[in-house]
Amino acid sequence: MSDVAVEFELNGHVHYGVVPANIVLVDYLRDTCGLHGARIGCSRGVCGACTVLIDGRPVAACSTFTFQVDGAKVTTIEGLDAGGKLDPVQQAFIDNAAFQCGYCTPGMILLTKALLAHEPSPDRATIVDWISSNVCRCAGYPQIIAAVEDAARRTRTRGAGA
Amino acid sequence: MNAPLRFVGADVPRKDAAGKVSGSAAYAVDVQLPGMLHAKVLRSHKAHALIRRIDVSAARRAPGVRAVLTHADIPAHFMAVYGYNIKDQPIVAVDRVRYIGDIVCAVAADSEAEAVAALARVVVEYEDLPVVASIEAAITDTAPELFPVAPIGAVPTYGAGASAEMRPRKNVCFQFNYTTGNASAFADADHVYEDTFRFSRMHHYHLEPFVSVARATTDRIEVWASNQNPFPLRKELARMFKVPESGITVHVANLGAGFGSKNNCKTEPVAVMLSMLARRPVRFCLTMEECALTNTQHAAILKLRSGVKRDGTFVARQSEILLDAGAYADASPLVAEKAGYRIPGPYRWRHIDTRCLCVMTNTAPAGPFRGFGGTQASWACESQIDMIARRLGLDPYDVRVKNMVALGEPFVPGESGMDSDLKEGLDLVCAHIGYREPRMPNRGRGISIGFKDGGGIKKAAQARVRVLTNGDAILNFSSVEMGQGIRTALAQVVAEVLRLPMERVAVPAIDTDHSPFCEGTNASSGIAVTGRAVESAAREARRLVLDFAARELKCDPAELDLDNGFIVQGTGANAQRRPMGPMVMAFYGGPGFEFSGDGFYMPPVDHNAPLESRCVFWEIGWGAAEVEVDTQTGQVKVLKLVASGDTGRSINPLVCKGQEDGAAIMGLGQAMFERMIYNEAGELLNIDPLIYRVPMAEDLPAEFVTITQQQGHGPGPFGAKGAGEGAILPIASAIANAIEDAVGVRITELPITPERVLAALDKKSEKSKGRTTL
Repeated sequence: MSDVAVEFELNGHVHYGVVPANIVLVDYLRDTCGLHGARIGCSRGVCGACTVLIDGRPVAACSTFTFQVDGAKVTTIEGLDAGGKLDPVQQAFIDNAAFQCGYCTPGMILLTKALLAHEPSPDRATIVDWISSNVCRCAGYPQIIAAVEDAARRTRTRGAGA
Repeated sequence: MNAPLRFVGADVPRKDAAGKVSGSAAYAVDVQLPGMLHAKVLRSHKAHALIRRIDVSAARRAPGVRAVLTHADIPAHFMAVYGYNIKDQPIVAVDRVRYIGDIVCAVAADSEAEAVAALARVVVEYEDLPVVASIEAAITDTAPELFPVAPIGAVPTYGAGASAEMRPRKNVCFQFNYTTGNASAFADADHVYEDTFRFSRMHHYHLEPFVSVARATTDRIEVWASNQNPFPLRKELARMFKVPESGITVHVANLGAGFGSKNNCKTEPVAVMLSMLARRPVRFCLTMEECALTNTQHAAILKLRSGVKRDGTFVARQSEILLDAGAYADASPLVAEKAGYRIPGPYRWRHIDTRCLCVMTNTAPAGPFRGFGGTQASWACESQIDMIARRLGLDPYDVRVKNMVALGEPFVPGESGMDSDLKEGLDLVCAHIGYREPRMPNRGRGISIGFKDGGGIKKAAQARVRVLTNGDAILNFSSVEMGQGIRTALAQVVAEVLRLPMERVAVPAIDTDHSPFCEGTNASSGIAVTGRAVESAAREARRLVLDFAARELKCDPAELDLDNGFIVQGTGANAQRRPMGPMVMAFYGGPGFEFSGDGFYMPPVDHNAPLESRCVFWEIGWGAAEVEVDTQTGQVKVLKLVASGDTGRSINPLVCKGQEDGAAIMGLGQAMFERMIYNEAGELLNIDPLIYRVPMAEDLPAEFVTITQQQGHGPGPFGAKGAGEGAILPIASAIANAIEDAVGVRITELPITPERVLAALDKKSEKSKGRTTL
């Protein structure tokens, strides 16, 4: 298997690597970059536990080759609390107890980031539609939906104040 | 303590919050050790076959391979089989395979890819045996015997009325029996109704797979495992590998959930054995497909024979439950106990005669699943109550209320009293669903009371609370955090007893060398069993601190209180507050000291109780559903779902709500679409996560309501009971009952697919057509 040189922005920093052509992004992030927040659930692009943002769009990192992110901007959950301060979406998940086992949580939070960037004031149907791309097997959906609504409020408020 | 509660009952942020929202929370899946190898296994593609030959020579020579494990590589003095009561599952196949997915051999290599490549070089010659892939097939006279040689095992001891036997008949590994009252009671019944119900099996589908990392030699084993029962795992590994229990350390971090599956041995024996062979740490991590082949819920056939008076009074119930245990016993005997014991429901019967059989089949081993036999039992029991009510022309609500066990009344002789007001809960869900309101065409409402004994049987738990020099506390216990919020809730109990802010109560991870013993994280026992140990440990630590302070201050400890690390003497405006630190250091010196309190709880052994200890608490799940049935397509739309549990007192209401939401939604999946589909050849047809369907956010009914009651009768700290399983129990039956209310057909098999509803509607219209032509 030939190796490929890749250069991409990872959580705000330039990342350069030489990777096997067949290594998927979630394995690269976990095993080479030491970023464990993207998790492996189904490995089939179904459950969304491995969700990361690629140029702001939520993508299943288990179904993305690492070379595909060459030149892109990749954000993992570790990139959200820059400077040690939690993102409003993270805080909303805490305040609404919108996680149980926590395995799906990074994916759900990144999904929410993408949703709110796309639609700052999503209605409930839109939230449900977006959240339905990831599995929370603990089925904490009502509290996740509440957290997304809360996060939208906080993000708007913060945006207005900025 | 009469002071108002500050921490118990508050929605304080979870202890695991920061880690879980930032991605830094530790799971076994993240563990990496220097020099770690990766294991993969060859799984049987035959459902039942003898192994004539295994040739692993080419695999041993494959690149990156450090160890190959076949049955021949296991030292003869090891006891290389595992299971709860029945030790029938080998680490790798001995002379035969019993299901598609059975482990034939294993490889440890430098990478998973190399392990997989090496396994492709293994040659196995099989000789096919007849396959029995269902309960019905396994119990026919012509079925092959799946265990020609009886595995080692033992029947637990029981109290009044309960008994069990091993291998009572072919392909039944275990049978549980419970009887109370006299069968002659049936003579007093005006009607005897016999009904049969079918229950399909779900895949746990925990997102974090079964995974472990083992570092093992012949006299020392260290395991990092995604396992909810670290102490039983330690014991099982000691027995299997002939290493003293004191030479084994099990580390457990957060579990990426389990729903019951992460018990006993799963990946651990292969990882340990390969590590011994390779003399390197070995990680064994399954794919989600492999997880589906490792542990599942129990499919079941439940036959009820219930005698009732014409006014709806229950008289006597006989039942036979057949559980599909799959290829190996796993925890099936324990699930059988509970399914059999719970089948009467929370109602008065003069006579109960129940048996539950674990039927071995050539399918994946079944084991514990949230509800633990109670889900199967509640499905049948609560469905039949509605059927009986309708046959008698009575309201299902009235029939339930007429027969339900009263608050404080024992469920059966020798049992503890009911600790929830069942009618109060039923009235609540009825009010929310609008039970008495007029029905629209093709719409109906149904109710159900799910029921299980909670807290486990003779279950022991210890805890330790250490108060440090400045008053900070460290809480150790061994209920595993798998999403239920136990670390938070028990820290709240300690915070309350010590009157210490939550951030000053640390809850370290579990390892069996340092953490206090716990039988396991199961049976919703975290609050009601471990919590009692934690509360007494906290009170003991507090007592030690106050006794010390009283000696220093030359006063009576009763004059003192502890508050946020201060010793408080006196009350009101005259109270004197002294920081603990200087007082402790003045006596013990600069390094300070720790006041260490131990706590313990175990329900007393009681031979008059059928299961040998009285139920710690009753876990009740009240459910109500409103459905709309499309009579053209058979499609059932759940318009509204109401689920309610009784926590006694919620230590953390938001966390309790999350448990009820999750359990109810899991029950919705069970009711409407989730099932593992096996064909007659023992092939699991929907193993792929792309095909196997679990509830998503979009599956939430338009109206979804969970209500946590706090009735205040719990035995745990501050009146708490357990939570987490109750709300899965009533959902399927409430929906089936609502369907009959809507369109007059009874669905007795899960899941409630449009095909089944349509078939029932067709049958009904044929019947009515038949009548009109006559």
